[in-house]
Amino acid sequence: MAFNLRDRGADIWDRAPRSGRIAIALSAMLFAICLPFLGGTFLNTPISSYEAVLVYPVGLFVLMALGLNIVVGKSGLLDLGYVAFFAIGAYTMAILGTHTGLNFWEILPIGIGLAMLSGVILGLPTLRLRGDYLAIVTLGFGEIVRIVALNTMSIGGPNGIANIPNPPKFLSLEYTLQNQKAYYWTVLFLIFLVIWMVRRLSTRRPGRAWESIRQDEDVADLMGVKTLKYKIWAFAIGAAIGGAGGVVFAAKSMFVAPEMFTLNTSILILACVVFGGMGNIWGVITGAVILSYLPERIRFISDARLLIFGLTLVVMMNLRADGILPRKKRERSFHS
Amino acid sequence: MTNVLELKNVTMQFGGVVALNDVSLSVKKGEILALIGPNGAGKTTVFNVITGVYTPTAGQILLGNGVSLVGKKKWQITEQGVARTFQNVRLFGEMTALENVITAGDVRSKSGFVGSLFGLPRSRREERLNKDRALELLKFMGIEESAHKLGKNLPYGDQRRLEIARALGTQPQLLLLDEPAAGFNPSEKVALGNTIKNIRDAGYTVLLIEHDMSLIMGISDRVIVLDFGMKIADDSPANVQNDPRVIEAYLGVPADAS
Repeated sequence: MAFNLRDRGADIWDRAPRSGRIAIALSAMLFAICLPFLGGTFLNTPISSYEAVLVYPVGLFVLMALGLNIVVGKSGLLDLGYVAFFAIGAYTMAILGTHTGLNFWEILPIGIGLAMLSGVILGLPTLRLRGDYLAIVTLGFGEIVRIVALNTMSIGGPNGIANIPNPPKFLSLEYTLQNQKAYYWTVLFLIFLVIWMVRRLSTRRPGRAWESIRQDEDVADLMGVKTLKYKIWAFAIGAAIGGAGGVVFAAKSMFVAPEMFTLNTSILILACVVFGGMGNIWGVITGAVILSYLPERIRFISDARLLIFGLTLVVMMNLRADGILPRKKRERSFHS
Repeated sequence: MTNVLELKNVTMQFGGVVALNDVSLSVKKGEILALIGPNGAGKTTVFNVITGVYTPTAGQILLGNGVSLVGKKKWQITEQGVARTFQNVRLFGEMTALENVITAGDVRSKSGFVGSLFGLPRSRREERLNKDRALELLKFMGIEESAHKLGKNLPYGDQRRLEIARALGTQPQLLLLDEPAAGFNPSEKVALGNTIKNIRDAGYTVLLIEHDMSLIMGISDRVIVLDFGMKIADDSPANVQNDPRVIEAYLGVPADAS
């Protein structure tokens, strides 16, 4: 391929001095922060509210795709039930928000912790499985969580839980239905946090462990990598991120119901990861933005929009099977 | 001389197939011990029971300090100081040569998630130390120029050398080499033989599976011969070469002798 977007981007980054890198990072962050104010441009989504679209699906899909990327992209563990952690976070917010006096900020860490715990509980027995078997078990787990919610009347059963309180004011940010910017910035903050975390871990011991597990688990084991421990960590961190997304989602939509957490959502998040480029956070973010934003942007062609969406997926995966910005480490000569 | 490793009456059965039949052997500190035998004799199986890939059906595997390796997890055995290479090169192909070795070196690090995430002093120190050590090992194996090349893109010979560097990265006491010279030309074999001697001289003990007799006769202190899962000889290279049972195992019985 003549023009390689990933390598071109990485080149600019590699050559830039420290100040240049800070400038690039800051302007990217600033751009992301300012996105809600660009509703008047071509970015505007017809029919659905632009600011709301930025929160869900766009922001939360980016967040979840980043979480799933740790599991699928970094560690090579195919998880088809990722939405379960999102659901656990959302239901934690819904139940505690309506039944206790706890507010969003107090529930957020609880939701993250519960999702993480469920990740560990799911991971301990199932991470001894590999490949297809793991995929099937996680798929089952995703369905179990949804069906339990569907059949437990004390948490609303099929009716779900309504009247979930909005987060209280934070500094001067008002979390209301009209002010979606506040939710967007909250999600954005979580995204920044996750990017920082993934970048940190990737170049250090945990990242190497995940990478080695993905490439050859048996050899990783024989080279002294505690594979089960690192796989569970990957699961737990992925789950925690999904849980955080769920808490925000519940507080924003003020309503949760089991049908929001179907297999479709798991698959869509996985599609974001694969479409963008497994293992590369910038690819995953790009993939998630496109796949969540595009259907909203082309909503005006109503009936044909899912067709176009599907077509885009098929065409792209044929042209770029490794995703838009694939993972591939570039080599350097020794003395550079 | 003290033992680094001792196998006592190890038997490994797969269903009806007896891959190892009551094998006892010891590896002495600081020696180069060669394990030879015809195809299917059970040489790689010996490596696999030592490193925990298989749990032996019967018998004991003890380190010099008395620690038993049977039933231990693979990473625990590595932590105890046993490292290996593979008959078919099995590098982490998508990692650079340097990262391959650093990944192996991580077994000696104590810092984990929290340290890595927040860049705590111990984590940073270990990361730096680990990297320096890995670079040194690449230099020792003569492939430091390829430190930042991906494993899968290295020439075949360098991949084999990188595998040894990676195994040394775990700081083993005992190094298991599974046909390290496979596919090498004669001059590469001589160079490899010298490298193995250097490894031994650096204080490691080497147990090696090899088919190339001139290499084995040139560098081994002792040779063990396996045939059909049984040990048939355990002696100096010169004696093993003239052992009628060994010749029989390799060449068969002369027609007039039976």
